[in-house]
Amino acid sequence: MLSVNRIALGIILIFLLLIPHIASSYVVYVAVLAILFSMLTASYDLLTGYAGPLSFCHAAFYGFGAYTSALLTLKTGMSFWLALPISGIAVFLFGVVVGYPALRLRGHYFAVTTFFFGHFMYLVFLNARDLTRGPLGLGGIPPPDSIFGIDFSSLTANYYLILIFGILMVGFLYALVNSGYGRLIVSIRENEDLAEAVGVNTAFVKVMAFSISAGLAGITGSLFAHFFRLLHPTTFAWMTSEMIVVMALVGGIGTLVGPIIGAGVVTFILEMMRFAPELRFIIWAILLIAILIIEPRGLAGIFARIRGGI
Amino acid sequence: MEIFLLQAGNGLIIGSVYALVALGLNIIWSITDIPDFAQGSFYVIAAYVAYFAVTLAGVPFLVALVLGMCVGAIMSFSCEKFLYRRWRERTFRLAARTQLLCAIALFFLFANVANALWTSKAKIFPAYLKGSLLGFSYMRINVLLAAIILFLVVYVFINKTKPGKAIRAASMDLGMAQVLGINIDTVNSIVFIMGGALSGAAAVLVSPLYSVFPTMGDLPLLKALVVVILGGFGSVAGILICGVGLGVLEALGAIYISSAYQHGYSFVILLLMLLLRPKGLFGRV
Repeated sequence: MLSVNRIALGIILIFLLLIPHIASSYVVYVAVLAILFSMLTASYDLLTGYAGPLSFCHAAFYGFGAYTSALLTLKTGMSFWLALPISGIAVFLFGVVVGYPALRLRGHYFAVTTFFFGHFMYLVFLNARDLTRGPLGLGGIPPPDSIFGIDFSSLTANYYLILIFGILMVGFLYALVNSGYGRLIVSIRENEDLAEAVGVNTAFVKVMAFSISAGLAGITGSLFAHFFRLLHPTTFAWMTSEMIVVMALVGGIGTLVGPIIGAGVVTFILEMMRFAPELRFIIWAILLIAILIIEPRGLAGIFARIRGGI
Repeated sequence: MEIFLLQAGNGLIIGSVYALVALGLNIIWSITDIPDFAQGSFYVIAAYVAYFAVTLAGVPFLVALVLGMCVGAIMSFSCEKFLYRRWRERTFRLAARTQLLCAIALFFLFANVANALWTSKAKIFPAYLKGSLLGFSYMRINVLLAAIILFLVVYVFINKTKPGKAIRAASMDLGMAQVLGINIDTVNSIVFIMGGALSGAAAVLVSPLYSVFPTMGDLPLLKALVVVILGGFGSVAGILICGVGLGVLEALGAIYISSAYQHGYSFVILLLMLLLRPKGLFGRV
């Protein structure tokens, strides 16, 4: 059974590595979007899939990271290689500040609060014109500086950079959820009161899961900023947060692999429907409802069923 | 001072619209545990139907209002009957997630259907009444009056009738209500019909003041969700007070603090409230 998974993983990896050589630059752009969204959903899964609370503000952290990194390189002339970790850490700390009060709330209270936090951050991106230039968009962001003699002005080099970061992030998350700390996180999802009763510092673990998830979204945002080199507040509006939730749930949360597959599938479906911009979200919503009717656990549930699981 | 009163009055009126949507959301949420985002799109469709009824068929505004309420009610009822109900038997966490996801998908769906059918261009809803009182047009005052009447109707229905009693029982303890012979399918249908009708009414009432466009449902939906949480689920009067209060605070904040962040104040209020009084201002039923 495991070998099937490994072969599938290997095929996907080889395919991803080959994309810039076999496909047009348009496909490469779509693939970059798919990888970025995979990173977002995978980091989102750490909080919602493993720790439990349903959150609707992932795009806010994504945007915070993107703007931090872009502004650091634009205003202070900092190198991308320094701006990337700094924006990751900044968003992580921001996650602590937001997560500490917000995570005292449970269930729908928390969900709706994050929803509004997402919207609030969008308003900040839109209205802090001195920094973000608001609805005009922040342009002229430099591409990553060359390092080890690799020049990042070409699309292919940028693609590999993002792919490598994607693999690193997924690897990190995989190691994290399979560590002892990962089991602490899961214990909160399964029974928060019991976990607390047996001595788990649930408040700390939850805030950590929230902040790490946020920090990783910030790093993804930094990669986004330096790849597309143009930021606009609507990219980080609540629609994007919803999209991340939907992608993760379509794939099947709490599995790490599910959300990544979900992100890939949804990105490609949405791109394939570019021919009919008006119908795009209609077809997409109908597809989503159809998936829910067939298997509410998402694609992961469909695979489990095909392979003879429950 | 005049500006203050005018702006407070406008806040009162827009707040009553939030409260209407919130009332429907609140009843649905407290019975079925679904934050029914889809209400935001029933709002849009109801407004468009009323707009076409008035401009194409030339019906009086009151008929258009009833028509909008019927459209909202039918859509809401069908979505519950054919979609949400399907997952109710699943384990709690899966059911909650699936229903929420479905609600978001429906919201996307209908908002985009409106966009595809009628384009994103705002349509001007013809004024149905001229004249004004103390600087407020009669149409604005009507919104407030209609909201008060609808709140009274819902209040009487919930507190004084037999189906209302069943709804209250179901919101307190669903399992026990079922044991005592309350048909939960019927209760669900009733609350969704009420929710849809309230969203439709709010939409048609507000359309002549602003205009009709595909994303008109976004902000009322967001604000209504805040109001539900602020009101702490359950109490009908609490929803009205919170809705109107939020509308007034926002309107005043827009002139005295900054209008750019007008739609962000609700978040700040919500966060403060959740930290200080996590049970909501008016507690559970």
